[in-house]
Amino acid sequence: MSRESTTQQRQIWLIFFFLGIIMLNFPFMQIFNRPETIFCLPLMVLYLLVGWPLSIVVIYIFSRSLESNDDDEAVEPPEQEDN
Amino acid sequence: MSLQLLSGISLCYFLLLFAVAFYADRRRRQGKSIVTNASIYSLSLAVYCTSWTYYGSVGRAATSGLDFLTIYLGPTLICFSWWYLLRKIILISKEHNIVSIADFISSRYGKSTYLGIIVTVFAVLGIVPYIALQLKAIAYTFNMLCGPDHNLTTSFQLQFPNLPMVIDTAFVVAIFLSLFCILFGAMRLDSTERHEGLMAAVALESVIKLFAFIAVGLFVTYGLFDGFTDLFSRFSNEYPEKTQLWIISSANNSSGRWFSMTFMSMMAIMFLPRQFHAMVIENSDHNHIRKAMWAFPAYLFLINLFVIPIAIAGVLIYRGDTSLADYYVLCLPLLAHQKGLAILVFIGGFSAAAGMVMLESVASATMILNNLIMPIILRCNLKMTDISGLLLTIKRFAIVSVIFLGYFYYRMLGESQALVNIGLISFMAATQFAPALLGGLYWERATHHGAATGLLSGFVLWFYTLLIPTFVDAGWLADTLLTQGPFGIEFLRPTALFYLNNLDIWSHSLFWTLFFNIGCFLTISILSTPSSDEAAQAMRFVRVSTWQDESQKLKRISKAPTVMEFVDLMTKFIGEKQANTAISSYLGEREIDEKGSLSEYEIPNLKRFTERTLAGSVGGAAARIIIENYLSARGSKMEDIFNIFGTVSLSRDASREQLSVLYEAANMIASGADLDTIYDNILDLLYHQFRFDLCAIRMYDEDSNLLKVRNFRGIDTEFLSHADRKLDENTCIGTAYVTNKVTLANDSDCVDNPISMEIIHREGIKSFAHAPITIEGQPIGVLSSYSRYAKGIYTEEFIELYKNLAYHIGIAWRNSQQTGQLIAASEREKELKIAESIQLGLLPDTMPSLEHTDIAGICVPAKQVGGDYFDFIYQDNELDIIIADVSGHNIGAALLMAEARTFIQSQAHQLATAPAVLNALNRFMHNDLSKAELFITMFYLQYNPQQQRISYANAGHNHPILLRHDSMEFEELDAEGLILGINLEVDFEERQTTFNAGDMLVLYTDGIIEAENNRQEMYGFDRLKSVILDNRQLGAQEIIDNTMEQARIFQGLRHFNDDVTMIIVKI
Repeated sequence: MSRESTTQQRQIWLIFFFLGIIMLNFPFMQIFNRPETIFCLPLMVLYLLVGWPLSIVVIYIFSRSLESNDDDEAVEPPEQEDN
Repeated sequence: MSLQLLSGISLCYFLLLFAVAFYADRRRRQGKSIVTNASIYSLSLAVYCTSWTYYGSVGRAATSGLDFLTIYLGPTLICFSWWYLLRKIILISKEHNIVSIADFISSRYGKSTYLGIIVTVFAVLGIVPYIALQLKAIAYTFNMLCGPDHNLTTSFQLQFPNLPMVIDTAFVVAIFLSLFCILFGAMRLDSTERHEGLMAAVALESVIKLFAFIAVGLFVTYGLFDGFTDLFSRFSNEYPEKTQLWIISSANNSSGRWFSMTFMSMMAIMFLPRQFHAMVIENSDHNHIRKAMWAFPAYLFLINLFVIPIAIAGVLIYRGDTSLADYYVLCLPLLAHQKGLAILVFIGGFSAAAGMVMLESVASATMILNNLIMPIILRCNLKMTDISGLLLTIKRFAIVSVIFLGYFYYRMLGESQALVNIGLISFMAATQFAPALLGGLYWERATHHGAATGLLSGFVLWFYTLLIPTFVDAGWLADTLLTQGPFGIEFLRPTALFYLNNLDIWSHSLFWTLFFNIGCFLTISILSTPSSDEAAQAMRFVRVSTWQDESQKLKRISKAPTVMEFVDLMTKFIGEKQANTAISSYLGEREIDEKGSLSEYEIPNLKRFTERTLAGSVGGAAARIIIENYLSARGSKMEDIFNIFGTVSLSRDASREQLSVLYEAANMIASGADLDTIYDNILDLLYHQFRFDLCAIRMYDEDSNLLKVRNFRGIDTEFLSHADRKLDENTCIGTAYVTNKVTLANDSDCVDNPISMEIIHREGIKSFAHAPITIEGQPIGVLSSYSRYAKGIYTEEFIELYKNLAYHIGIAWRNSQQTGQLIAASEREKELKIAESIQLGLLPDTMPSLEHTDIAGICVPAKQVGGDYFDFIYQDNELDIIIADVSGHNIGAALLMAEARTFIQSQAHQLATAPAVLNALNRFMHNDLSKAELFITMFYLQYNPQQQRISYANAGHNHPILLRHDSMEFEELDAEGLILGINLEVDFEERQTTFNAGDMLVLYTDGIIEAENNRQEMYGFDRLKSVILDNRQLGAQEIIDNTMEQARIFQGLRHFNDDVTMIIVKI
């Protein structure tokens, strides 16, 4: 895998990582922190029941994109030091 | 349910686990592992879900709402990072044979022993209550299933009243678990040989607990109730006030707590000792992460899917009573008389607890053995040859101790509140490892002082802000400690430290522990300097993929142990069989030198291999101590870092340094300085750049047949810097010259040459090298260097450079030789020029002016000086014409010619006739000519203008020709006479002839007729005659010029190869 795509992968990973942390924490979750229910299910429970598997799906897709990446350099790509 | 039935089922389940573990172990031995795949790896990570989550999640959901989910959301989030973070940790661990989290941290910080101790102590402290919690869960649920009433009367005591109090359900479980762990966790000592049996059992347990939980979830949700919506709608109808559970209240810092718990669980999944063990140590292929990073969160999601429904069902069924909420999972099937399901749930819970206890105890035992016991054992310095058995026993004992510590903790505090939050308290303890571990992974500057202070302060704060309040809750400490602070110091209240009272207990603790932990870690790291070992280790961790072991090659061991000694050392700690296997796998990949042993530079690699192998059994820190003790005990040690190129100031890169040194040497040679200056400069370069004590150049001296010291730089001692060496193999220098190969000794103790040994020891030389100085492959001298301070400085790279320098010295020598020759040649040239001008001065500069006579003469030497000569002597109205040719045309001929001239000039006046002159000259010169082995041909002619007669004598010279005007014919002038210098007494005939007006006399030497062209044809007598005939009308000088021109044209590109002399007399 080229160095560029490895870097891009890391950046995508970072974005999703922080997005995950933001979306599964306050104040973002405050959006769903309400007494309303949908199909009798509380909004927050529903959000977590959907949001959580969704994040797993994202990881799954991400891990699939790693399929071709079998070189150890991805651990510490040299461009990290260069920048 | 009867005790016997449940015990039987439990026992069967135990046997199943044994069977699976045994099968996995056997398959591994056959090389067909069933465990080394991504699915089993992912399942084994699910050891994260302990009975605390298995039973406790429902309880937490029923009592405090959604925040139980943070324990699973955190790991889901951190899974994003696994491909980078976890893979890096795994790669490093494999590289360094790391066996536990304590080992990892201690290895990262220079294999620090006390850091290992700190981590181990705190890890075990954090774990023991957690194990107690698991034992409690098993015992409680076991009793719950057996006992008619759901209290904690132990079933075993009911059945066997005679048993001592201590033997209860938990005790029996603890015994079984210990047995299992010993069998599959401490079968052998080599911890890096992963515990596949154990992991297979853990993976099976993960499947069963998931299956059981989903089964009970489906039963409750769809069996007892009518699905999710039914549960939620009933719940909101019956307990509208409890719907607040599904909302995270803004009061009491709930959002902060949410974040803190998510963060803690993110750290816990990485750094809880059992998680670290399952994820890192038991990992067989880092590519398994790719699957685990989604499969593991998916597992967590599935196991939590029915937590809320079960909690709601419990609340509904128990009519709002949540006192048993922690055991709703088991109670609901029991209430519904689903015994089978209840047993399945019990087995699931048992699995959750047992898996955790097994892995945690094995991980802790490894840490205890390697980080606590090993340093003590090493200090005791046991003399046994094989202590591997002892170590194995200790490890087994450690496993049992950890489990039973948990058991006793449970016995003492089982009913108290101190166990309730122990899961999260453990999480917080694991979080304390994060700064040291993550910082160490990405920040090279992190030092072990920083890590140790960070960890210590983190744990002190952890104890103070979490454990103290728990103890207060349990009633062991006075409430006032929390409300008024210790000794009434309000700002030290454990839950409101420094007046920080608006946070929940987790956020408060997380903030303060990490504040001090990270603060100390960063500050002390920046303030302290790591040792070189630690810095190197830091580089290896931070740059795991880019780190090259280059500098390592430059190390050596003095008095290095042999391969067998290393094997013996390994045998002592890991047993003979394993040691032999390890060494044969190592040697299989290595080159072995001609003596059948490892080369000097391979020994340090073997040392590292031994250390790594030992690290696999006893941990990095202990392995380092073992190796160091061993080496120091036998008087050998790793020498200082002898990166000889490191002393070169220009760059760290060896090849660049080689180039720069050679460049400087080449510059010196090109400088055009004299040889001694060049040699001194090159020696200076060697001496300063590489800090030798002496550098010397010896050159072969033909006269004495010795290698004589020509230049040296450094210590001035008789035996090294002045003594010449013979050309034999008795000395190392002689050997280098004779064999034309580099002779070196990296350790002067190993020199076996008696003469050299004596000299070296007298002068205190530790290492030296001699390289032959060669020209076109032939030795002409030897370049030597000596070091008194260091052994092992002559690496292969350096020897290459050294040979090159010796070669440069050879070039300098040849250059200087060639320059000398050029100078000598030009000196000779100058002298010849002088001789030439002198000789030309000896020839007549003007032609004699006689009336009616036209005379011209020429002498062209073939080289600067020649042996031809002509002269005119005018006396008593007679003109003597002399033409002579001394054999050869070198400076000797020129000298003899000068001698002859001097004689003739001085004697001709006194001697009347030509034969008399020749005779006198012959006698005079005979001796000199004989000595010089030379001779002279000479034609002596006397011309009397008045009488128009010539008389002449010949000493073997070419016959002059006389062109008669009247007949136009040539007449050769010949007279008997031998060449001068052959005989002392010679009779020279005198002849006479007329020389009339119009006649022309031509005297010449053989240079003109023997002039050759490219076809090896000679100019010849005939051509000469025809030229003279053709030009007879011209003046004498013109005839000579034309003759010379014709001769030159004839020769073409060639030069006269003999002196050419010609005289023409016309009247």
